[in-house]
Amino acid sequence: MDILIVGMGKLGYRLAETLVASEHNVTVVDSDEEALVKAVNRLDVLTVTGNGAQLQLLEEIGVGKKDLVIAVTSSDETNVLICVTAKKLGCPRVAARVRNPDYAGQIDFLKRELAIDFITNPELDTANEVARYLLRGYNSHLESFAGGRVGLFEVPAAALPEVIGKTLAEVDVFRDLLIGALYRDGEVIIPSGETRLESGDTLYLIGRRESVTALIRSHADLGQRHVTKKVMILGGGKAGFYLANRLLTAGLSVKIIEQDEERCGYLASHLPGALVICGDATDLDLLQDENLSDMDALVSFTGHDEENLMLALLGKQHGVAKVVAKVSRSNFVPIIEELGIDRAVSPGLISAGELVRFIQGGQVASLSLMFGGQAEAMELVVPPTAPIIGKALSEAGIPSGVLIGSVVRQGQVFIPKGDFIIRGQDRVIAFCLHKQLPALSKLFDPKRRGIGHELWFGRKDTGKPSAD
Amino acid sequence: MNSGLVARILGNLLLIEGAVLAVPLGISLFLGERRAAIGFLVSMGVTGLIGLYLSNVPAKSPRLKAREGICIVTIGWTIVSFFAAVPFLLSGAVPSFVDAFFEAVSGLTTTGASVLSRIEDLPKGILFWRSLLHWLGGMGILVLTLAILPTLGVVGFQVFRAESPGPTPDKFTPRLAATSKILYVIYGVLTALIVLAVRTAGVSWFDSILLAFGSVGTGGFAPFSDSVMGLGANTPLVLVLASSMLLAGVNFSLYYELIRGRWKQALANSELRWYLAIMGLSVLAVSLNLYGRVYGSIGETLKHAWFQVSSVMTTTGYVTADFDLWPPFSKGILFLLMFVGASAGSTSGSVKVVRLMVGAKVVRGEISRVLHPQAARPVIVSGRVMPPEVVRNVISFLLLYFAVFAVGSLMISLDGLDLFSSMSAVAATLGNVGVGFGGVGPTAGFAGLGLGSKLILSFLMLLGRLELFPVLAVLSPRFWKE
Repeated sequence: MDILIVGMGKLGYRLAETLVASEHNVTVVDSDEEALVKAVNRLDVLTVTGNGAQLQLLEEIGVGKKDLVIAVTSSDETNVLICVTAKKLGCPRVAARVRNPDYAGQIDFLKRELAIDFITNPELDTANEVARYLLRGYNSHLESFAGGRVGLFEVPAAALPEVIGKTLAEVDVFRDLLIGALYRDGEVIIPSGETRLESGDTLYLIGRRESVTALIRSHADLGQRHVTKKVMILGGGKAGFYLANRLLTAGLSVKIIEQDEERCGYLASHLPGALVICGDATDLDLLQDENLSDMDALVSFTGHDEENLMLALLGKQHGVAKVVAKVSRSNFVPIIEELGIDRAVSPGLISAGELVRFIQGGQVASLSLMFGGQAEAMELVVPPTAPIIGKALSEAGIPSGVLIGSVVRQGQVFIPKGDFIIRGQDRVIAFCLHKQLPALSKLFDPKRRGIGHELWFGRKDTGKPSAD
Repeated sequence: MNSGLVARILGNLLLIEGAVLAVPLGISLFLGERRAAIGFLVSMGVTGLIGLYLSNVPAKSPRLKAREGICIVTIGWTIVSFFAAVPFLLSGAVPSFVDAFFEAVSGLTTTGASVLSRIEDLPKGILFWRSLLHWLGGMGILVLTLAILPTLGVVGFQVFRAESPGPTPDKFTPRLAATSKILYVIYGVLTALIVLAVRTAGVSWFDSILLAFGSVGTGGFAPFSDSVMGLGANTPLVLVLASSMLLAGVNFSLYYELIRGRWKQALANSELRWYLAIMGLSVLAVSLNLYGRVYGSIGETLKHAWFQVSSVMTTTGYVTADFDLWPPFSKGILFLLMFVGASAGSTSGSVKVVRLMVGAKVVRGEISRVLHPQAARPVIVSGRVMPPEVVRNVISFLLLYFAVFAVGSLMISLDGLDLFSSMSAVAATLGNVGVGFGGVGPTAGFAGLGLGSKLILSFLMLLGRLELFPVLAVLSPRFWKE
């Protein structure tokens, strides 16, 4: 696809990186020359300097011939203007970032009346992600696929002492479960039969919901239920506001600490159920006075990554069961989770994930971006003409770095082995390292054009239907 | 340093060179030139085997940093020249390896300086290979690699930047591989058109192809000992070649604009205007100087003046007349044109018009700042403000270019040539022109120089083609320390 990204901030860069890796043709526009130089030196993209909302510039780029325009500049209004202009110039699909809570109520209006196909709000998405984490029952549950029939779980290898030191081929405790991915020393590994498990690994298990529940029941460490009741949010910015709102709706007790008095007034008036404390979140005495150690969860959402990190560590030290830190530099997410913080969330990364899900459109039903974007677990519906159909998996040419975790056929969940044969209309849950995304789409893409096409365009046409 | 990846890419480069060697091999086989054919076959085998070995070296990561990029470009051009020299040596066309290497570098860097005499007696395969090197080197051998192997696109921008002529590379599609392909398609079409035009002017097919390679790559190797002087009376041919060289000196991204129907933007390019203006004024000045003194008719004067100006300015180096016999004023203009070159993003060498424009604008800004110390004078080219880093890079390039020229001239003067000949030898090789004055003039060639001088000039050709900085960076001790 030919994609135009306006705005080369953290989100824009992240998005460009992901899309280039998936063999899309990406053009980026920004008025900041420096950001573009950084982009062109590291990514195979075309850069254009200028104001992306300017009609003349958009016409010059040939926006009408692009398949998709994504507006992620720092200004909501500019993003909307870009999308509307691009749409009028003939671009079939447009997406924008709109983050101001004042506009939160008019997202549907913007989509309907201004014909913006997709709107992402990183702070809202982040708040939802954190809320999901705080509200879920089992600590280890991550994601559900195929309408809840298949679950993805995160388990420290240390909790399953019987598997350590064995290769996957030797491990038999899992029965109907499959290790889809491993997380070791900040790196994601898509395992094969020869991969040996180490005690520091985090395992990502996928399989039928009931099998997972059975495993958890048989291991006391995994079965701990944490019911979160009291949450302290540090920093009452946009994300903090959305999160508090969501948690209050779920009936939790929420305490917000915010420094800015005016903002406190806003929060107090808009979130009547919450306790808003006006003070410095980095003031340890204040936190202790507000019973930090009594909290079930601590979420640090201040504007500084460093502060969030320190505060989350502080919470852990005071015995808070779940601590979450916001990190705007998504590259640091894996490192921070290594430090003992339960969840590091990056609004840019989450938004990028949302946008990628929107762009993949068509067959990809649900998708989760894992580990700072190193890998994805995605649910695909197999088109009837996909090349992978009709061959045993061991002979389908699946590259290393790609793993078929589960197949759902007519409501039945299969954990595929090497002799499994995929049919059309199956739902497949696949693990895939980011760099293998192109290889994955080759296996599942319905339309294929000849080698001449590839020679000329330098890529295989993905043949994905556009949304309209 | 990611030496595995560097080796892989160099291996691919050699594989492509090995494959390309099949063309002259075919010609030699077809014409029954046994010794040349054996030479090509052996070179093909050696190049291909080494390429195959290198291209299978495992790479640690697929990421390429600036350091690896310039390393690939500098070492790549050197080894490709090295292997390109092997057929010259093995076929017996060139007796010594230094001469063969000089000839290969001269071909690949599109210089066109030759150490060969009696060119008509050489095997056709060798002549073809010599000119094919021009064609390959003109648009860049690594750009070709990028075009053929799109998988390198992700890692290639550093390489593309180091190889493409001019201060800022033109990437006009999101994918570098697509840009490379478009460039080569434009290049190929232009070459084909020139072959047809030259053929129409009454030259044999074989010579037409060779002349087209020499002019579209702004190289200058001709299949004749006296360049194209023998064909000087064939006015249509002279005009075709002069226009071909002119077209090859235009930034190729402008042709892409033309294809996309954006002729207005293409024609508004200020480098193009300066390029044409400098060429026009030079032709006028030379013609006024020559008319009545060397040529009697206005037509003849304009014809030869334009051809020589076009040839020297685009750094091709074809000659229809021995301009060494021209009056000093005309020689002076041609000598200065060796330091101008044509456009960035073209196949020409030397400084490039855009750098001189930037230099001139900086100087003008400084002059106005003497009167108005607070004046804001950004450097504007084609309506865009040049970023200060680019301006700084251009100024350093200009200084360095003249420093290299000065030092090089002194070194060559040790060979016993007169000073002007030495200077023109350096200007002609560093600027990839290929023809100088006096001892290295149109009729003299480079055969008479000593071994040392030939090696120095070979180095200068590579230095000039890769635009100084990458080569000097690789040669700097700091590069190898880490």
